[in-house]
Amino acid sequence: MADRVRTYPGTRKPTPHQGHRKRNCVKVLERLSAYLDDELSGEICQEIRAHLGDCPNCEIFLDSLRQTVRLCQHRPSPALSEKDRAALRRQILKAAATV
Amino acid sequence: MASRKKSPPATPDGQGLSPSSSHPFDQLYRDHVDVMYRFAYRLCGEAEAAKDLVQETFLNAYRAYDRFRGDARVSTWLYAIASHACQRMRRKRKGEPERELSLTEFVPTSEGEFALQIPMEGLSPQEALENKELRQILDRAIAKLPRKYRMVLVLRDMEGLSAKEVGNILGLTERAIKSRLHRARLFVRKELSGKGLAEEFHRDVATVDR
Repeated sequence: MADRVRTYPGTRKPTPHQGHRKRNCVKVLERLSAYLDDELSGEICQEIRAHLGDCPNCEIFLDSLRQTVRLCQHRPSPALSEKDRAALRRQILKAAATV
Repeated sequence: MASRKKSPPATPDGQGLSPSSSHPFDQLYRDHVDVMYRFAYRLCGEAEAAKDLVQETFLNAYRAYDRFRGDARVSTWLYAIASHACQRMRRKRKGEPERELSLTEFVPTSEGEFALQIPMEGLSPQEALENKELRQILDRAIAKLPRKYRMVLVLRDMEGLSAKEVGNILGLTERAIKSRLHRARLFVRKELSGKGLAEEFHRDVATVDR
């Protein structure tokens, strides 16, 4: 007897948010910073990873959040010039001497 | 109104503060001014406002020096003074209504909003940030954040402080800090994934290239 192939209704080309409820995506979205910052228990991390494996859009979303955080972390900030540093010090001491 | 001279405050070592180069204030200033300017610049987004904030911060630190008990790191104490000074300075100015960010506003509603619409493919963040347009887009996104969220994002992700330290600085629980941080990150992410951003980015690059 030939192996029976189980078919599921609606198993055509995978599309976003198919195979699970969209509210799972929202539940995952709520925890993505904690996930990136490694603040969640192993069990919850596993649940999130399972969801991400099922949901390409959430995977892309997580990548985009990770990239955003990295951009913020590496955004350089201009330094104060030696001249401005000295001028600011003079202004602070001058202001401190008066009420 | 005539101003009067104020005696320098006493310091923990029993000396008053004065402009002499060997004074504790000078050491405090020398050791922390660069960090405070960087923090101020990140909060304010431009040099003059950042200098005003640094001045206000060290002036307040100068006046409160004798009350500093040393049970926090000096940098944490200065961050707290700067954060409060920033809130006061902004309150004096009008505008920038503070709004609460809700998680539901960050759920993408169309296909194009899941990924960032900026060129990062195969680049490290440092390499990506060499692009001036990208820096401007990121800065604009951070500047658009309501202040209380921007404060947390800057302290946590840009200054690299822990949630506990940020909580101590802002007088909030770690839970509140994490909640604000998550919303702040989602806000910036959304700004960088906006539909019009890719077009804007390519238009800007084309303009610069010309």
